[in-house]
Amino acid sequence: MSEINFYYLEKPTLSNLNRIFESAEIPFIRLSKFLSKEDSNMEVKLKRDEKIGFYKRNIGQAHLGDFWKSKDFLDFLKKGTGLNCQFRSSEGQSYGPGDYSLLHSEEFEGKRLVVVYDFTKKWDIEWGGHDIYTSPDKDPLICNRDAGTLMLTRLNEGDYSCTRYVSLKSESIVKFDKVIFDIK
Amino acid sequence: MRQNSIIPPVKSSPFPHVVVEDFLDEDTLDLVIDALAGLEYSFSESDLFSYWASVKLTDIDHPALNVLRKDLGDKIWRDEVANAFKVSKLSKIDMAAYVYGLGDFLLPHDDQVEDRVIAYSLHLTPDLEEEDGGSLDLFEDDKDGKSKLVKRVIPKFNSLNMFEVSATSWHQVSEILTDIQRLTLTGWYHV
Repeated sequence: MSEINFYYLEKPTLSNLNRIFESAEIPFIRLSKFLSKEDSNMEVKLKRDEKIGFYKRNIGQAHLGDFWKSKDFLDFLKKGTGLNCQFRSSEGQSYGPGDYSLLHSEEFEGKRLVVVYDFTKKWDIEWGGHDIYTSPDKDPLICNRDAGTLMLTRLNEGDYSCTRYVSLKSESIVKFDKVIFDIK
Repeated sequence: MRQNSIIPPVKSSPFPHVVVEDFLDEDTLDLVIDALAGLEYSFSESDLFSYWASVKLTDIDHPALNVLRKDLGDKIWRDEVANAFKVSKLSKIDMAAYVYGLGDFLLPHDDQVEDRVIAYSLHLTPDLEEEDGGSLDLFEDDKDGKSKLVKRVIPKFNSLNMFEVSATSWHQVSEILTDIQRLTLTGWYHV
């Protein structure tokens, strides 16, 4: 099982995370080197997932498997965000050259915490593939790719997220686990 | 002035579309390109697209653009377009210029907005090749939402591309892969 970097479990850090999370326009935290031990299955088979005008990508099981439902991670979420979360779903996603998802794919979603753990290696910002989060009347939040980084974003009904189009010139692929928690 | 007022037979697959080549005469073409070069373009980017767009050209008073609006939007031509696509009468057009540079794109969408009947784009970039990107790609979708790219139109200089807007008119502008600038005048014929 994967292990969370001890630094992120210390009381002062957790208290800081809470403060940062609450102070952002769109509540958001980005934690690099989140895991001290990454027990990932990169052999997970992802299958093509296409809906024209919505998304074009690969999806499958989460690379970190049951870690997303583990007591350690749920405890961390509660202490780091102050939210009372209930696990809804987890999946592995990858985006190669020409792939994308669009914001309106998330129409009809309710209040949720979106957790993204990034496995993308050797990425050039010019290839796109970044995550975008939007909320009415707020500046969009852009999250660039960075392997080993965990991103937590609280979204309300009417808030959307997507992975921006990946350039045909990309020499690598975007790969991450995306986990959704319902907020009680 | 229009140089070519004959619309070839509309192709039905994957959805009704047609290309009218050599649309404007040389003098008008030069004037229009000069006029468009003098416009300001602002960069627009979203999850769906990345390009440079002019302001709406529908109401701008400029000799070349006035001629162009007439060439694309006078009653004779609107009737020709309506007949070619076998649609009811077309009333007005709108118009804006778009420039796609390196890395710009427009992802698949169907163009459906109230009152739009026929979409058009007049291509104004000489010598655009397939390797440059910037093709107009037409998709066929099935009931599951899966799509297949079935036609790739490489924009030819001074050609007018038109297609009927519907729930199945899925199309995209493929990513620009070189430092070419893809300039088009684009808009819709409305009910």
